[in-house]
Amino acid sequence: MRITINDRTVETLQGETLLEACRRVGIEVPSLCYAPNAVHKPSCMVCMVQDLSTSQMIPSCSTYPVEGMRIDTESSLVVSLRKMALDLLLRDHRADCEAPCVTVCPHGLNIEGMLAAYDKEDYLRARKYLAAVFDLPSVACEGCKAPCEKVCRRNSVDAHVEIRSIVNELAAREDLPVQGDPADVQVQDKTRFSSRQGVFTEQEKIRLRAEQPLASNCLHCACAARNDCRLRDLASAAGIKTPRFGVSSAQPFKKRKHITGDLWFEPAKCIHCGLCVYNTVDGFSFKGRGFTMQVDIPEASYGNVSESLAGLCPTGALSLIR
Amino acid sequence: MCGTDCIEKEAAALKAVLLRTDAIIDRIGTTPDVVIPLLQALQEEFNYLRSESLDRVYERTEITRAQVMSVATFYSQFRLVPFGKHIIKVCNGTACHVKGADTVYDAFRRELKMEGDDITTADGRFSIEKIGCLGCCALAPAVQIGPKIYGHVQPGKVDEVLDAFNALAAQEEEKEEEEREGKVQGEIRLGMENCCQASGTAEIYEAVTAACAELDLNVRIKPVSCVGACNQVPMVDVAMPDGQIIRYPNVKPEEVREILLNHFKATSPLRRLRNSIFRRVDHIHTDTVWESSLWEPDEVRTRTINNFFAGQKRISTEGYGHMAPLDADEYIANDGFKALEKVLKEMTPGQVIDQVLASGLRGRGGGGFPSGRKWSLVASQPTDVKYVVCNGDEGDPGAFMDRILLESYPMRVIEGMIIAGYAVGAHQGVFYIRAEYPQAVIRTRKALQMCRDRGYLGKDILGSGFDFDIRIFEGAGAFVCGEETALINSIEGKRGFPNLRPPYPAVSGLNGCPTLINNVESLSQVPYIIRNGAEAYASVGTQSSKGTKVFALVGKVNHGGLIEVPMGTTLNQIIEDIGGGVEGGEKLKAVQTGGPSGGCIPAEMCDTAVDYEALKGMGAIMGSGGLVVLSESSCMVDVARYFTEFTAGESCGKCTFCRIGLRCMLDILDKICTGKGKEEDIAQLEELAQNISKAALCGLGKTAPNPVLSTLRYFMDEYKEHIAGICRTGTCKDMVKYEVNEDCVGCTKCAKACPADAIEYTPYEKHFIQVDKCTQCGLCIGECSYDAIHKVPLKEVAIS
Repeated sequence: MRITINDRTVETLQGETLLEACRRVGIEVPSLCYAPNAVHKPSCMVCMVQDLSTSQMIPSCSTYPVEGMRIDTESSLVVSLRKMALDLLLRDHRADCEAPCVTVCPHGLNIEGMLAAYDKEDYLRARKYLAAVFDLPSVACEGCKAPCEKVCRRNSVDAHVEIRSIVNELAAREDLPVQGDPADVQVQDKTRFSSRQGVFTEQEKIRLRAEQPLASNCLHCACAARNDCRLRDLASAAGIKTPRFGVSSAQPFKKRKHITGDLWFEPAKCIHCGLCVYNTVDGFSFKGRGFTMQVDIPEASYGNVSESLAGLCPTGALSLIR
Repeated sequence: MCGTDCIEKEAAALKAVLLRTDAIIDRIGTTPDVVIPLLQALQEEFNYLRSESLDRVYERTEITRAQVMSVATFYSQFRLVPFGKHIIKVCNGTACHVKGADTVYDAFRRELKMEGDDITTADGRFSIEKIGCLGCCALAPAVQIGPKIYGHVQPGKVDEVLDAFNALAAQEEEKEEEEREGKVQGEIRLGMENCCQASGTAEIYEAVTAACAELDLNVRIKPVSCVGACNQVPMVDVAMPDGQIIRYPNVKPEEVREILLNHFKATSPLRRLRNSIFRRVDHIHTDTVWESSLWEPDEVRTRTINNFFAGQKRISTEGYGHMAPLDADEYIANDGFKALEKVLKEMTPGQVIDQVLASGLRGRGGGGFPSGRKWSLVASQPTDVKYVVCNGDEGDPGAFMDRILLESYPMRVIEGMIIAGYAVGAHQGVFYIRAEYPQAVIRTRKALQMCRDRGYLGKDILGSGFDFDIRIFEGAGAFVCGEETALINSIEGKRGFPNLRPPYPAVSGLNGCPTLINNVESLSQVPYIIRNGAEAYASVGTQSSKGTKVFALVGKVNHGGLIEVPMGTTLNQIIEDIGGGVEGGEKLKAVQTGGPSGGCIPAEMCDTAVDYEALKGMGAIMGSGGLVVLSESSCMVDVARYFTEFTAGESCGKCTFCRIGLRCMLDILDKICTGKGKEEDIAQLEELAQNISKAALCGLGKTAPNPVLSTLRYFMDEYKEHIAGICRTGTCKDMVKYEVNEDCVGCTKCAKACPADAIEYTPYEKHFIQVDKCTQCGLCIGECSYDAIHKVPLKEVAIS
């Protein structure tokens, strides 16, 4: 079938959707709820394109070409609708991409990564984070007003993590020399979009207080999937800095369910695309409707899903945590 | 601790639950597509969905946990926790909303001492819930308790309603009916639909039965279909053997005996004598007699009624008020099934479709797609298995056309459906009827059986060799299932998620087969078209919209009810000539048409002739036919907020724009209605509304912003006033306070009525309302005989 995409004539293949046709000829169309070779149904609407022959807006991931279609994938209307779809999805996505301490550190120290290693008693690895940004870790925090401690999410729960004293403690461990290139520890790219989960509710504070604290007292706000998140990639690409409609999900912060193996499910990050629902049998399902609709799985069905689902999930809602 | 005895008892109880569950599974089936009827039956049996029963379902059927979770939480009918013995359903339809349903809900909670998030009383006798729409809009605010519907419930009257219900519940067990024989002297006809029952027709029915026994009269009492004049009920028609019909509107139970005496003589001479004394005594001593409309001359008494019927044309509702819904003989005597006979004996399917095409009939469900084109599309599909689905999932708050049509004229809809089946080559039909209409389900089921018994349905209909049968699928409560693809998913036992179209159901619908989906009203127009010809039908209406349209005329109008008018009638004609003007002599502000997908048409545009195009041009839609009249005392921002709250709650949740976008709009409207709105909120609201209408996945999402868009278009000044902190109608509670003015004589009545003890009073001195305690229930305003309590704006800003 012959259609035009952005004034270019394209011969589409049998059984191919508009999105697949666009991508095949090298026109990038973003999408979240679509995954190649998986069952999907249109929901996220970020793959929106316009058919100029009817002036309808259509989700390209699920629409099949019709003779005479004139598809526009880059008009300002298309771009603005896609951006609004992302802004709306982010409103319902209650999570921190990066830990706040990391985003404010003037030296770019990956504090959360360091604390994660510290909590696992892997002090050598923790020292690597320090070595990645400081020549002299023992004086690293000297003279700094410690914005990291001021923005620490733990502040509103009880007291912030004593970041500077942990840095000093680690710096003093000269018995664990860091050798070679500390390249395997990542430094945050501040040009990327970073979602923020907002303030804790009173119930959350009570819950977090009741939890057994880790050695560092850190909540580990950062998302395990922060470097592998399609939602974050698209938000960065769309130039979103702060979601326009705020964040108002009712889902609790970091309330995770352990599903199977290393697979964890965190509903607050779910964008309800349904990929995990459509690609499991008697596993995940939708629950409720309207704005309060959730994706959930009854405990008795945990055995019906596999770790590979994490790869299908466009966000960190389903991720592998070791 | 539980002893051995107790453990044994529990085991026995569990075993009983499982046995009952098994019986239901055996009756209904084990395939995934029966999940909805199965859950409905389980809930009916156990009052809620018990986890033990559900476990049994997973064990014994192909239905999975994931499916049950997905379905049971999608439809509002299903409950996972036990409810009280009687459920109080407070209708939150549009008409009820504009007449104060929220305060009624609060009043019930207060009366039943429900606190916090409780929805069930401590003794487990009552549970309360707000529901979409009971479809008794002419009696707003309406409340259903158990099977009984109460109309015009005021916050101050909820105790009386509860008393009446309790008395009724106690009575029910003792109730006995007496059979009487002998020559029938005449017929008393009573409308017995839900809404007539709500207005007290049931009491009239009892009074008639009692009076007949007492006076020894032998009169046939006949429950009839909706008379349409819902504002004049209870209405009694006395049909004399000579064919004369005398109509009594607004009858009270105590008047029944007099009506009967006026027309009928007792069968025994002795009683006749006694009755004549009764009559004299009543005339002389009953001082209420002269106040009653009953004794006014016929012309005076029935004037409003006759006006109500003037200007209407009956196609779908032909036979109103004189035909019994379930009397097949009567239907046949009134040209029933003539169209079907004609089709089967004289016409080819192609000719039937040509007739429907030529008639210009357009889908009455909302979109207005030409029905004939839909029929020919389904007919042209080469598959053997096809379906006809009648869409009776009338979920619009403020609309009850389909309910009345199914309750009153089920045979006509069935006839239309069989004709459709013949035309498109289908042999199976499905009635999709929403769960909130139990009466419609019962009537339709009985009507189907009657049709089967008489050979109109089933194998080889009327000897023509054409087979067609129809089953009923009861919806489980989801507005979105009015959308064709969502409805199909629902019948297949899935969540009511709409699918992306194409493919259209006409090509790939139920079970992947071509499916014709028509609305109840569209199908009920078909027999007329066939019987009288496409030309006769097309001569009614406007250039683009043919035939008649059934409307539910509700809201702030004097004579609300179900009406059927030719397309092209203006809204002013409907409101003034048929509806008798705006209630309370107020000025008309707007008419809301098309429910949550429609818009508000301002008063100055109400002289436009109503058809699909005209309404669309004004930013509204025809929709299924709800007409909610809004007066000067209706707040348009509140109306927009009300519909947005409705659609945000009823959104299926599948696509981003509808699920989150509508929620965003609702949050902004909440801000505006509580006085926290800012100028820029209006712009953001408009941007969201426009984008949702472009980008939502299905028709419902695309039209959900219409109430907001149309009010922004015509009533921007009201939005701006709200931003300035003023709600001129006093509807938005956070912007007004109640105040006692100088007219107060200090009678203390208001203080006694106040449920929150918010009125400080000294007898014979002006009372004072404590704003912090006041819940704005409005009881004091109703109670005050001196019009001394008013809502005043919190902010001292002059309304421009």
